[in-house]
Amino acid sequence: MSKTIFLVDDSATILMSVSAILGKAGYSVEKAGSAEEALKKLNAGAKVDLLITDLNMPGMNGIELIKEVRKLPAYRFQPILFLTTESQQSRKAEAKAAGASGWIVKPATADDLLNTIKLVLR
Amino acid sequence: MDELTATFIDESRTLLAAMEGGLLQLEQADAGDDNVGGIFRAAHTIKGGAGVIECRFIEAFTHIVENVLDRVRAGDIPVSPGLVSVMLACCDHIGALLGVLVAGQPAPPQEVAAEGDALRAQLGQWGDDDGQAADCADGSTVPLSEAVTASGGGVVSSDAWHISVRFGTDVLRMGMDPLSFLRYLTTLGEIVTIETLADAMPDAAEMDAESCYLGFEIRFQTRAGKAEIERVFDFCRDDCALHILPPQSKCSDYLQLIQELPEDAMRLGEILVRIGALTQAELDAGLAAQAQPTSVEFDGDESGARAPLGEILVGQQAVRQEVVDAAVLKQATVKDRKIAESRMVRIQADKLDQLIDLVGELVISGASTHLFAQRSGLSELMESTSVLSRLVESIRDAALQLRMVQIGETFNRFNRVVRDASRELGKDIRLAITGGDTELDKSVVEKLGDPLMHLVRNAVDHGIEPAAVRAERGKPHQGTVRLNAYHDSGSIVIEVGDDGGGLAIERIRAKAIARGLIAEDAVMSGAEISNLIFEAGFSTAEQVTNLSGRGVGMDVVRRDIQALRGTIEVRSTEGVGAAFCIRLPLTLAIIDGFLVGVGSATYVVPLDSVVECIELQETTTGRNYLNLRGEVLPFVRLREMFEIGGDVPARQNVVVVQHAGQKAGLVVDRLLGEFQTVIKPLGALFQHLRGIGGSTILGSGEVALILDVPALLALVTSAEEKLVSPAPSRGRPSGTPDSQHLILQPSE
Repeated sequence: MSKTIFLVDDSATILMSVSAILGKAGYSVEKAGSAEEALKKLNAGAKVDLLITDLNMPGMNGIELIKEVRKLPAYRFQPILFLTTESQQSRKAEAKAAGASGWIVKPATADDLLNTIKLVLR
Repeated sequence: MDELTATFIDESRTLLAAMEGGLLQLEQADAGDDNVGGIFRAAHTIKGGAGVIECRFIEAFTHIVENVLDRVRAGDIPVSPGLVSVMLACCDHIGALLGVLVAGQPAPPQEVAAEGDALRAQLGQWGDDDGQAADCADGSTVPLSEAVTASGGGVVSSDAWHISVRFGTDVLRMGMDPLSFLRYLTTLGEIVTIETLADAMPDAAEMDAESCYLGFEIRFQTRAGKAEIERVFDFCRDDCALHILPPQSKCSDYLQLIQELPEDAMRLGEILVRIGALTQAELDAGLAAQAQPTSVEFDGDESGARAPLGEILVGQQAVRQEVVDAAVLKQATVKDRKIAESRMVRIQADKLDQLIDLVGELVISGASTHLFAQRSGLSELMESTSVLSRLVESIRDAALQLRMVQIGETFNRFNRVVRDASRELGKDIRLAITGGDTELDKSVVEKLGDPLMHLVRNAVDHGIEPAAVRAERGKPHQGTVRLNAYHDSGSIVIEVGDDGGGLAIERIRAKAIARGLIAEDAVMSGAEISNLIFEAGFSTAEQVTNLSGRGVGMDVVRRDIQALRGTIEVRSTEGVGAAFCIRLPLTLAIIDGFLVGVGSATYVVPLDSVVECIELQETTTGRNYLNLRGEVLPFVRLREMFEIGGDVPARQNVVVVQHAGQKAGLVVDRLLGEFQTVIKPLGALFQHLRGIGGSTILGSGEVALILDVPALLALVTSAEEKLVSPAPSRGRPSGTPDSQHLILQPSE
């Protein structure tokens, strides 16, 4: 049974391109265009093996989302990755403190992305 | 072949030679660790290079050799003659594999592969793959190993990485499963052993089910570097205690890499990160620790001084002490070496050849300018052209000097030949080398290898008698083969001698008669008979051995030497020894010549062979001899010899020439003085001509022929001998066998 990856990003381009890569690699992909939308879906009991979120989003940002997700009993121990850039080193620590498992540095190749996912997925 | 491969092959050949030299030294005397280290490094560099050009068969074989050498270096394996022999055979095999690479074959052919397998089997006796833990030879690393052992009971294996990781208690709460890291690790390599440590696990009552208390000691086999391994633990690096210790073999890799780093001034940390011994994160941690004054420092003698980064890194178990030491040494030597290297310039051979060609043209046009200046009668012009020609002469000498190399390197190669051959034959033979610093043209040195090989092998095989015979003759048990080189009147003389049995004159004579080389009743001196061994198809070895005696030896040697405008002769005393003497011209391109005129023709005599010039006093005997201060001097009339017409002038001159201790006179019309001669080879059409060695262009644009003095001397001598002896062919010397023209007997 294929693993489900929940992708949260305000950019439709990113959602489309990343989900294409993940789909091709055999993962099921759930998408959300904002942190609020993502939380709503998770609260509704969506089955997710891995959450990948952008940090900079209008409204609730990625770090707040990670904190909220960690409060949900079903997702306390699920891996969470965040998308970041080299210039956001300080936010990396912040996100880790919020409970993120790891990160993907943008721009990333498809291989980088898939390798990182392979590492954190059970 | 691409440039990288060519570089690799070139470099590897040099390294193999160094390895071989080191191994031979190792056998003779315990030359110390440095020597073993050098041998190891050579093997190691070849392996590394093979990896870079992705030549797997060389890499794989050299890797095994390297492993054994590493253990020799560490003192695990004692040096034994058996080991050295196998190692030398391995050198040969690597050489053969390089040949395969040069030939562009994707894999070694069957016989080479079989040879490799046999050697692998032999190397197996030194157990290169056993699981014995090989600690660093360097005592300074022992505490480190102990620390690892104490913390986890893991053992630092000789060829596996050791990863020690204690996960942070929050790792599960971060959404990470420790197993994920281990699983991901296997994508980089193979986990050989893994030990789970639960020491940190508290009593059940106090245990938090959501915390992680585990640690792992992992032996990990991989081709990946330290940074790659560290990247696996990237996400938990900040929260866990991670130590990645390189395998033993990697340790020496680092040392090698340090050696190979470009000669840039670098900081210690930079060096270690560059070679992969240290990751950037480890360096950052080390630097942070350095910036913070620690209690140790306050207690220390040098209060206020910061601990060196190297010490901190070793303390943090980030790198091994010996790697730090090597890096520090590298730092120190970078400056010195930079200075030394700037004194040497490597240059392509064809650029040099081009320079020599141009200098040749310069000499010719200089001569022409000089000639016209003389004709013009302008004293100022003449003066300036004579300055010019002196300068040209200096340039010529300097340019030719560029091509000169010492023959020592070529000679040293024969240490191995003599050693192997004498072992095979069960003889005890040493090679004595003298005159290794004698310089000669590089192109000549290259072509000398084969003939010398023949001569040395012959000396070992046929020359030196078996031990029993030597004892009977009262000679020392150990036979001696000598290689010697020296300058002699414009020639280079190379001698290959032995203190063996010498040539068996009667056997050679009998054989020569049997082969139809000489008439049964021929009257010949001992030296003449000795030199018959240079005739094609001549071999006196009763037993054909592996080494020589195939009957193709000496005539090939003579042909090789002749191709270099040289001569070869043999001196032998039966029962005492034999010596082969090779005479070669000093240079192949430009010589100092002496210009003489006969009728309308002009000839050049190499100045080195000219002794003196005298006026010819016509004798009444009609024989071609004259009395030179009580000495009998045979001479030849060039006018007759080259069939030049015209009237004989009233005064004729004799140019007395000398070669290999023998003198003769050349009768010419005019003496024209010294002349810088650029040798232009004669075309194939003229190659059969005797007495002419080449041609040159005079300042006037005319062509002059260069006389081949050795050949002329031989003509003179043999012609006179024919006159004296009752041999059938009286008269002109053209009917004598080829050999006697070019092989000279010493005047005894």
